[in-house]
Amino acid sequence: MTQKTSFLTKLGQIVGVLLVTALFVSLGLWQLQRAADLKESLKVATAVDTNMVPLESITSPRQAIPPSALNRTVSITGKYIANFKAANQKDGNGIIQDWESALLQVGDSSAILVVRGLWSERLLNPNVQQSMDIQVEGLLVASQDGDRAANAPGEISRLDSAVVVSLTDLDLFDGYVVATSEATRTASLERTRVVPEKLQSRISGFYWQHLSYVVIWWLMAAVVVFLPFYRRRVST
Amino acid sequence: MSGALKRFRVMAIIAGVMSLLLWFVDLPVVYLFNNEDWKSMVAWIPFVHGWIYAAYVLTALQFATKARWSIKKTVWLILAGTLPIASFAAERRVVRQYS
Repeated sequence: MTQKTSFLTKLGQIVGVLLVTALFVSLGLWQLQRAADLKESLKVATAVDTNMVPLESITSPRQAIPPSALNRTVSITGKYIANFKAANQKDGNGIIQDWESALLQVGDSSAILVVRGLWSERLLNPNVQQSMDIQVEGLLVASQDGDRAANAPGEISRLDSAVVVSLTDLDLFDGYVVATSEATRTASLERTRVVPEKLQSRISGFYWQHLSYVVIWWLMAAVVVFLPFYRRRVST
Repeated sequence: MSGALKRFRVMAIIAGVMSLLLWFVDLPVVYLFNNEDWKSMVAWIPFVHGWIYAAYVLTALQFATKARWSIKKTVWLILAGTLPIASFAAERRVVRQYS
């Protein structure tokens, strides 16, 4: 009976050690997967496709922007119908400035936010009227998700069509375009263009951080396997 | 035994400090404030805490094994490293008992 109890205790201990080890190994594998996901998402976020495509061929209004449309170079033709100051915007070089953004009506029923350039240069092209067709080329990027300033008349807190949805009846595209060039039928509009901010991964943490957690979990798994032998050695 | 006790005491104090930083600096900055600069400034805390805690667990296991503690008591000692102040309390208790 005592031998049977001792055997069952040992069996329970072995099963317990194996279960905890399997748990720690699984947690390590999970962190390894997160590290791989992070690497993949960074690859998508930093790759810029310079092949010019019409905006409407890669995304549609009233729909979340598809991941395949992010960081694509797009061309759009439309009319500017409203201008907004987008304050405290950080560009790709880390410089914080106020930008001029505008709502570009595309076709009869849709519109998209376009970053035209610096707010201080908004009066550079006085000949541009709201009825004019403007050909815009630029980079399509995801909407910002954190406010850079307060919402005020003529100002938007972030570059996101959600903050201007109440100002227009048009169907809005998700995301916004950072213009690299603008042209009317007769001339191109020259002004300083902004460099878009580098996109960040939506997975929290860093690649090496996840990898280090893999090492920690697997180290813990090794400790759990080694511990019964260590306890036995100490007790003898 | 005294070497294991010393190692445990050092790691208990460091893990306690890292727990305080994690609970009262990193977590509030990440979840209560919407400031990307602050977030990047505290990004090292969970990473360092992870490694410090792993070292704390190793020293706690070595000490508990040498002191012939039960598994239940050992698990409590390991869990003490996850809460702020708890590892300081565990360190004081161990010192009172074994020094």
